[in-house]
Amino acid sequence: MIYVDAGTTWSKVYELSDNKSEDSSFFNKYKSFIVEDDKQAKKYIIPSNLLKSGNTEFTAATGHMSKTNLKHDKNYLNEVIALSKGFLSNISQNGLVLDLGSRDVKWVQFRNGKFKDLDWNSSCASATGATVEMLLKFYDVQPQELEAVDERYNITCGIFGLEKIMDDIANGEEARLSISKFIHGIAYNAWAFAKKPDEIYLSGGFCDNKCFVDSLSKYVKVNKLGRFILVEGLINQFPPIQLP
Amino acid sequence: MQRVVGFWGYPSLDLINKYKKKYPNHEWVDLDIDFGYPKNSILPDAYCKIVKNMVYNAIYLKDRIDVILAPIGKEKCDSGWFAAKLLKDMGFVVEESIYEQTTIRNPISISTSNLPLRKKFELITADIIDQKHPSYEQTKPQFGFWGVPPNDLSVLELFPDNTHVYGWTRCVEAGVPADIELEMFVDENVPTVFYAQAFCAKTQLAKYLADKYNGLYVDIDDFATNSVKYKIEAFIELR
Repeated sequence: MIYVDAGTTWSKVYELSDNKSEDSSFFNKYKSFIVEDDKQAKKYIIPSNLLKSGNTEFTAATGHMSKTNLKHDKNYLNEVIALSKGFLSNISQNGLVLDLGSRDVKWVQFRNGKFKDLDWNSSCASATGATVEMLLKFYDVQPQELEAVDERYNITCGIFGLEKIMDDIANGEEARLSISKFIHGIAYNAWAFAKKPDEIYLSGGFCDNKCFVDSLSKYVKVNKLGRFILVEGLINQFPPIQLP
Repeated sequence: MQRVVGFWGYPSLDLINKYKKKYPNHEWVDLDIDFGYPKNSILPDAYCKIVKNMVYNAIYLKDRIDVILAPIGKEKCDSGWFAAKLLKDMGFVVEESIYEQTTIRNPISISTSNLPLRKKFELITADIIDQKHPSYEQTKPQFGFWGVPPNDLSVLELFPDNTHVYGWTRCVEAGVPADIELEMFVDENVPTVFYAQAFCAKTQLAKYLADKYNGLYVDIDDFATNSVKYKIEAFIELR
């Protein structure tokens, strides 16, 4: 049973064990993308364009790329709902969970297990994560070289941010410093977009970006959840069939 | 080619009756609606899509339109007033209309019925010119939709049939399009999506009411993006 959160750039996949001794064809094809493996499940992070070209039939799916590009048994879940199910079933009944990925930002807030508020922005948060990945490659900067800085760009989206970074670099600033200011701007915007809460449960690829987490922590208490909360929400919504 | 009476918003009944008598065989075209006619550069890009529709449609249909009935009062907006002036300046025959009475409210039946939400909006707007007052089977509201008819009517298809209509559209059904008290009314315990067209002054009301009643504020410019639709879907699922 294979569950997928197919984002614009990366797909997060859970392959639940079916107790068979032989390896699955999915494992054989994507084993180089495994990030975690235990007896119950294998977790993969796979470039979405690779999955799109494959023929895997997924048990359930969420994410921008999955609705039309991947095969699944009509078990499709809207991303905010998947995020909510994963948060409520595995993390807490109270709090605000924010998912910041490659192309958008979304958050949901709960009180005593009940929905309180939500928002989802794909326009003004467009291409933020994708822009960071592109900048790191373009300027040959390693993520670990980035450090949270006090200065930040007032940016509203990845596209507007690019212009400021390129201006500063053209004026002699180190690329790693400009990218850090850009990331600080994204962190500030994410916090402001979530209506400036005191505490955030952070989901998505930015959990792995120390510069982002440290920048966000200037404003709010941050609890990192990693990249698989949406997939865990899917499993909660479409539980695996128990085999005899 | 059939001749046309164009209108937007909610013209006064006197004016509608006057032109029904004068042009009994004309087609009545609601210029608010997005028919996909060619765009032009007369209005700024960042502007209310409904007002753009009014101007684009009028210009496209210019050879067929004999008169435009143009609400310009509180029942429409300043942009309606400006559009009326602009179209008059371009050679259209424009009859300005102000219909701000709030004393006589018609009974509500469509807004609170069990019809599909999109059908509710279509019936209410069609009723402006051909007033019929049938009674429909009523339903208890599970959700609410507050606002004007969206440019992209497909967003209405996301809601279950037991969604009640609030805001300006309910005011239209009640025959009081400038009744701000009725426009601001919602059932407090009904989870409601507060919708306004982007760049419309009603975004002020929609945002305020969404915060006040813990609803969902949504503004859409032209057509709804997937993210906007998913956001509404999530609200419906999680509330």
